[in-house]
Amino acid sequence: MLFSSIPFLYYFLPVVLIAYYLVPKSIKNMVLLLASLVFYGWGEPAYVFLMMASIGLGYVFGILIEKYKGTPWSKVCMIVSIVISLGFLGYFKYTNFFVSNFSAVTGISVPLLKVVLPIGISFYTFQLVSYIIDVYRGSVKAQKNFISLATYITMFPQLIAGPIVRYSDVENQLKERTVTFDKIAYGIKRFSIGLGKKILIANVLGEFCASFKETDEKAVLFYWAYAIAVSLQIYFDFSGYSDMAIGLGSMLGFRFVENFNYPFISKSATEFWRRWHMSLGTWFRDYVYIPLGGSRCSRARNIFNLLVVWMLTGFWHGADWTFVVWGLYFGILLILEKTFLLKWLEKYKALGHVYILFFVLISFVIFDSAGIGDALTHIGAMFGLGGLPFMTDITGYYLGSYGIMFLIAMIGATPLPKLLVQKLMQNKTGKTAAEILMPVVAVVILLVATGYLVDGSFNPFLYFRF
Amino acid sequence: MEKKKSMIQVISVALVFFGLALWAWFKPADAFSATERRSLKQFPEVSVKSVLEGKFMEQFESYTLDQFPMRDAFRGIKAATQFYVFRQSDNNDVYMADGFISKLDYPLSEKALAATVKKYDSIYEKYIKGTDASVYYSIIPDKNYFLAGQNGYPAYDYDKMYSYLEENLDYMTYIDITAGLSPEDYYKTDTHWRQEAILDVAQKLGTGMGVNLQAEYEQITLDTPFYGVYYGQLALPVKPDVITYLNHEDFDACTIINHETGKEISMYDLQKAAGRDPYEMFLSGSVSVITIENPNASTKKELVMFRDSFGSSLAPLMVEGYAKITLLDARYLNEVMIGKFVNFDTQDVLFIHSTGVMNNETAF
Repeated sequence: MLFSSIPFLYYFLPVVLIAYYLVPKSIKNMVLLLASLVFYGWGEPAYVFLMMASIGLGYVFGILIEKYKGTPWSKVCMIVSIVISLGFLGYFKYTNFFVSNFSAVTGISVPLLKVVLPIGISFYTFQLVSYIIDVYRGSVKAQKNFISLATYITMFPQLIAGPIVRYSDVENQLKERTVTFDKIAYGIKRFSIGLGKKILIANVLGEFCASFKETDEKAVLFYWAYAIAVSLQIYFDFSGYSDMAIGLGSMLGFRFVENFNYPFISKSATEFWRRWHMSLGTWFRDYVYIPLGGSRCSRARNIFNLLVVWMLTGFWHGADWTFVVWGLYFGILLILEKTFLLKWLEKYKALGHVYILFFVLISFVIFDSAGIGDALTHIGAMFGLGGLPFMTDITGYYLGSYGIMFLIAMIGATPLPKLLVQKLMQNKTGKTAAEILMPVVAVVILLVATGYLVDGSFNPFLYFRF
Repeated sequence: MEKKKSMIQVISVALVFFGLALWAWFKPADAFSATERRSLKQFPEVSVKSVLEGKFMEQFESYTLDQFPMRDAFRGIKAATQFYVFRQSDNNDVYMADGFISKLDYPLSEKALAATVKKYDSIYEKYIKGTDASVYYSIIPDKNYFLAGQNGYPAYDYDKMYSYLEENLDYMTYIDITAGLSPEDYYKTDTHWRQEAILDVAQKLGTGMGVNLQAEYEQITLDTPFYGVYYGQLALPVKPDVITYLNHEDFDACTIINHETGKEISMYDLQKAAGRDPYEMFLSGSVSVITIENPNASTKKELVMFRDSFGSSLAPLMVEGYAKITLLDARYLNEVMIGKFVNFDTQDVLFIHSTGVMNNETAF
């Protein structure tokens, strides 16, 4: 089920909220778990059992790791648990990638598996792995209550698209949390902002990208506009979903980590990845990069560590070479920045902005391409290869039609709107106006988003299968 | 104080949210959407199988979208946001220009044109070649022909389309009707042309085929508003059209047979004028084979017209000059069946389709 859908908004959510608020504290986790299973099972009922099996194994291994703490068995349990969890992920997500590449290289035709990728498996596997490692490291205690652990892993606000919430961040909240009007009001605000970002901006930019792909009358300018549109679409889609997740969490009494912090205002790739999908970046840092030796090692080893981490980051996004290249592309940028570029970028900040915007646009063209060849064609066309005209009538039409949306998206991707609201709230009148306007804006966004949902079925979620 | 403010904020949003949710849950399901001219999805059947296969969920989502309270009003909110807030030029490819609603038909599909030519060729080779029939074709331009390019909307190269057909249909005589048409000859909210505005088109076609059409008609205007097919797609409140049809005393003497049902029908079906698609009043709408016999025709000639829905309002204006007209819609009629309805010998044969049909890859 998608947050940005009528069944979720007007059927699932109201029932869950009422049930959750009405039941006593002692069974709130149970209600949340049941709701999450319905939410997950709505899309692919059969995979509920797979997810519950993964959680069950994580639960048992967590207890065993703690029980055998200080003995080699603890490590064995951790490794077995991680291998099983990553094994499920590997089987469902990557088997066909390896099979098709094996067939392509050897010429031996191996039939592909007929499996559908379970929704959210990349997210819940990473949460489970982080839990197991944290228990092994002793930074958290093994959860003895299966309902609590299952509630943490399956929690519907963050189940299918993150943020990747660490067990350590919600351990206490799973036991004790309060739902207050302040939290609900904040949750409504975040959720409606996210809903607007997803439906009113990301989906509309998605239509622009679809129109670009459909037309045969492309132009250099159209390719650049597409690169901007697809970058902003992915940002608003994913950060919108994260906002909705954080908002829903707040309505349920939880506080989830932030996942985005205006990445397009960065001045380097290093900064970009501190602002983009932050929960994934910190996950790879804590569970892959640092265990590999991080930066406290030789230069060569550090470069190797970075390349491994960024190749895996790309691969996490999808089982395709485009994602591997996309990850390595950022890995190389980060290595260059670490080696010499960063000090220049920090000195010449304006240049830094231009530099990162340019490379980010290119990166999302790779990200959105159907293959490496397609990506190269796209990038070549942006620089005039292929003999395309600079401008065509159709380019002019679509740029004119989506001009305001581009402007809204570009301004919305900066902290400017937030700063304006903060400025407004500095005086008493402004604060009162903002407080009155908050529910009005939330309702308007809800109604307009509902109009968009009712009107069309164009509502794909980009990170749905990651 | 802060808590109280938050409480007021939460309650105000909750009232709207839960109000809409309750309405969605308990609103009786509608059967039909008049603006979209289609049946609406009903609550799906629930079974263990449909749930496990995910079909129930899929159908339930369609049901909730179709049955949402004030559906048309919400679609209107979306359209208004798109046009007036985001200043987008079209909504679901539908746009307004010079007071007319039209739908983008860009780009030109050479595949569709090839399919049209192939269809014409096939019918010609199978039934007409070697007979004494005179074969003509004509093209009915879409409203976009007049509106799109001039108003900054994407328009395909109509000259290219016309040239392609001319090159590939060189065994037919082309009758140009485009020059005499203008946007005013079409309904503002619908894709079709207005019958009362195409008398000159009928005369041009008649002249092209050697038939003189001079009849004078009585104009009758329906007193019910006509919300054309684009009206619902635009989803914004605009003034409806009215349907005016041209009547002639000879029409009463005509024998008009719908060969799908084998029953006699009238030139204008006034019951359909009050139905879902009032344009269907012209020769009962989408019927694959119709014959019209006119005992008072000015000639003994026979016309076979391969046509689409535009032909329904055109054919009555050709009746004057032909003792028999056979209307065939090759989109819905299997080619092998044509011979059962027409024995081609000396007829005038007219292939006439709108550019919308010719540019549609799945039309033929």
